[in-house]
Parts: sequence; C-alpha cells; structure tokens
Amino acid sequence: MGWVAVGLGNDLRSGMAMPARIDGVDLALWRAVSGAVHAWGDRCPHRGMRLSQGFVRGETLSCIYHGWQYDSDGGCSYIPAHPDLVPPKSICATTYDCIESGGLIWVELDAPTSKPPMLPDAAALRSLQIAAPVDDVAAFLEAPDQSVIDTGDAVVVLQPTDKASCMIHVLARQNPKQTSRWAETLRKQIEEKAA
Amino acid sequence: MRPEIENHWYPVAMCSGITTPRETLLLGKTITLGGQPGAFWVRDAAGNNLQVVERYGHLWTSPGQPERPLFTIPEAEEQGRRLVDCGSIKVRCSPLRAVENFLDIAHFPFIHTDILGAESHTEVERYDVKIREDENEVWATKVKFFQPQAAQSADGGITTDYMYRVAAPTVSVLYKTCPPRPGAWDVITLFVQPLTEEWCEVWPWMALYDDTTPMSDLVSFQQMIFMQDRSILENQIPVKLPLDPGMETPTQADLTSVAYRRWLKKIGYTYGAQVVAA
Repeated sequence: MGWVAVGLGNDLRSGMAMPARIDGVDLALWRAVSGAVHAWGDRCPHRGMRLSQGFVRGETLSCIYHGWQYDSDGGCSYIPAHPDLVPPKSICATTYDCIESGGLIWVELDAPTSKPPMLPDAAALRSLQIAAPVDDVAAFLEAPDQSVIDTGDAVVVLQPTDKASCMIHVLARQNPKQTSRWAETLRKQIEEKAA
Repeated sequence: MRPEIENHWYPVAMCSGITTPRETLLLGKTITLGGQPGAFWVRDAAGNNLQVVERYGHLWTSPGQPERPLFTIPEAEEQGRRLVDCGSIKVRCSPLRAVENFLDIAHFPFIHTDILGAESHTEVERYDVKIREDENEVWATKVKFFQPQAAQSADGGITTDYMYRVAAPTVSVLYKTCPPRPGAWDVITLFVQPLTEEWCEVWPWMALYDDTTPMSDLVSFQQMIFMQDRSILENQIPVKLPLDPGMETPTQADLTSVAYRRWLKKIGYTYGAQVVAA
C-alpha cells in the first residue's frame, strides 16, 4: 500500500512505545535506546496483549503482561517464567519496515518497493486525529488521492487509520503557531462537514 | 442460545447490594432482579421467573436448566472465616479472558509488581493440571510462586502455595497459603457475569482467616489488584478468547490456561470465545 506516515519522530522518544494504526491494522511503534525506530503488529504472540503498552530496555521491547522480551528483529529472546529456556525461533512478533525521514516515521505494511516520499523543506510540527475519513481531508484540501499535500505555508501528510477517522501530520514552512491554529481550524471544518 | 451456554449458573448481583429492583444483562439479554434475603428473584425480559440461589455472598441464576446444583466451596463454610464482599468491576473484555487472567500467575511480577510478584522472581515451576471428569471442573495444584506481599495480612516476602479451580465456565476459585494460619487455605474467588461476549462484570469474593485487617483494607487491596488486571484485559487482541491453538503461544507456565481452553471447547462453551482462528 506504500509508505504511510504514522507520527512525528520527535513524539517518539528513545525508550518509548506507542500505538498507531493504518487502515485498521494496529501497530506498536517503539524507539530503542540507540535511537532506532520499529513498527510491529500490536499484539504479543503469547496472549495477544498490545505490545504498544510494553517497555523498552536497550534494543529490546518487552510485553507488559508477562515480560516476554523481543529483539529488534522481532524474535522472542527471553521468557521470564522460564529463565533457562531458549525461546523457539517460531515465537516472533510481526515486524514491518519502518524508516524515519523528513521528521516523520514511515511504515510500509507490504514489502517495500520504493522509499518514503521526499518532503518539501519544512519543520515537522504536530499530529492531529480527525474524526473523518482520509478522503474527506484530501477532498477538503482539493487534492484528492494525494497523501502529501503542500498548501504553501504548510505540508499536510495523511494517514488513514480506519474507515471513519484518520491522522494528519503537519509540517510548517514558517510561523509554527499560526500553522498550528490553522490545522486545528482545518480539523474542525472537516469534522463539521463530515457530521 | 444453545443449552451448552444457558445451562450454567451465573452470578448477577452481590446479595448485600440489592436494594430496589434493577435491570442488568446476562448473556446479552436483559434480566431484572430484586427482593430481600431469602426471597430474591430474577426475571427474564418476558417476565418469567428464573431459578435463583443465594450463596457465597452473591445471587446466582440460570437462563436454562443447569445439569448440576451450584458448585460448593466447603472451605468457605468453615467457622472463623471472614467473608468479604468485594463489590464489582465492569470490564470491556470477554468473560473468558477475565477468568483466564485470574488463573495466570506468570503476570504477577509485571502487573502486580512488588505486591503479588517481583521481577527478581519470575520463574514458574511445573505444577499439576487436571480436568476432573466427575465434577466437570479444571484443577491446577502444587502451584508455587514467590510473593513480596501475598495478602494484606502478609508481612514481607514468602513463597505462596496455590490451587486453582474452574468450577463453571465463568467461575474460578483460588486457594492460597494463609499467612496467619499455616496449613489452612485462604479462598479467593472470581465470579464473572457475562454481560455480553465482550463485556463482563467481575465479582471478586473472599473467605479468609484474618481477624485483624479492617474490612475496608481487604476490599481495597482486592480492588487495586483487579484494577491492575483491567489494564491488561481491555488491551488484548482479539477481544474474545481464542480456543483453537495457533493464534496464541502457550508455554509450560500456561498449563492451566491451556486446560481451561480445552475444557471450554470440550463442553461446547463458546460464549466470549473465538472458535475459528483469525
């Protein structure tokens, strides 16, 4: 489906995990202490707990439920209930390609055939959730079917989350305060129109 | 609804909490309950009276024809125990996930950190699990776990012995080391009312040998533990409990959960379960 922006790089600090969603697919985003970003399916293979609620230690992510620890390749490396057991290779979190570029975190759910789009030179400002389908946002900005929309003062990058809602990631060329207010007004107008 | 699901006893209220008649949900259907001790009643939406039993602090009913009388907990009848009504907590999860979490000890160090478990002691040793055919119950015995503060009455860390019992599809009873009375078991239950397949009301109840801890402390200890569990239960995917192997990955520490799922499948209890692997 191509690369989808799922958040601002600055909003995911080292040692943090957080949830994201693309077209109904739940993701756990996390940043290792080294700074590397990862996007995994948001469920622990053990008992289905969301990995986005887990905790990061060094280059590993652990599930909060039973502490199962996963290496950066998604393979389970430690099961605390059985400290002497070497976990079988079959126990593995679902991993997706994930790249940080232009101040945003990008995820590709399918095998990547390209790189994330090059963004115009602008500063990543903020992400907003909008209670309307992603197509409504593109239509409102008169850029149907586009996922990166340059309005002049701002660049808006779209993320479909599910049928009825989406996220937008806003980059500002100048005047971040004004762009931030503009983005909030945009959200309000789109949601009012959708309702 | 199928008899395999209807023909069981379900908790629907704490007896001491019934004042005026009120509506609630059982297996997705509205029921009404009310009355006084010794004369409680439950009616379905058509106004038919359902069977009722008052026992273990709670009002039990069945929308069907249970094949057995309500389970018993002989230990809870012993003289000198304090019977603790813990109130209820509504949880947005499958009733079966709530029971399964109650049967699990490996999460103690991570969810009930420094209370029921500690990250320095995470190992789960082998224990025995059996489906008891005569009683049609699941039992786990010889379960041991190190606990920094096993109960409100515990002073410092101890290795706690446990037995777990699934007495009905949505009822679990645990027996654990009783710090003030070596040789006896404290009884802690989890009575789960299936409101729908993905929403339940959980009624913990206890029968303890503990003459000193104030009642309010006993209740708030149990409430705190269950609030910690709720943070897990509302974040499992899928919401329903997968009964077929393949979707989730158990280890030896999960033998109770494996037996519970197998037993549910065997008796055809699929309410709150995901039967086809997604």
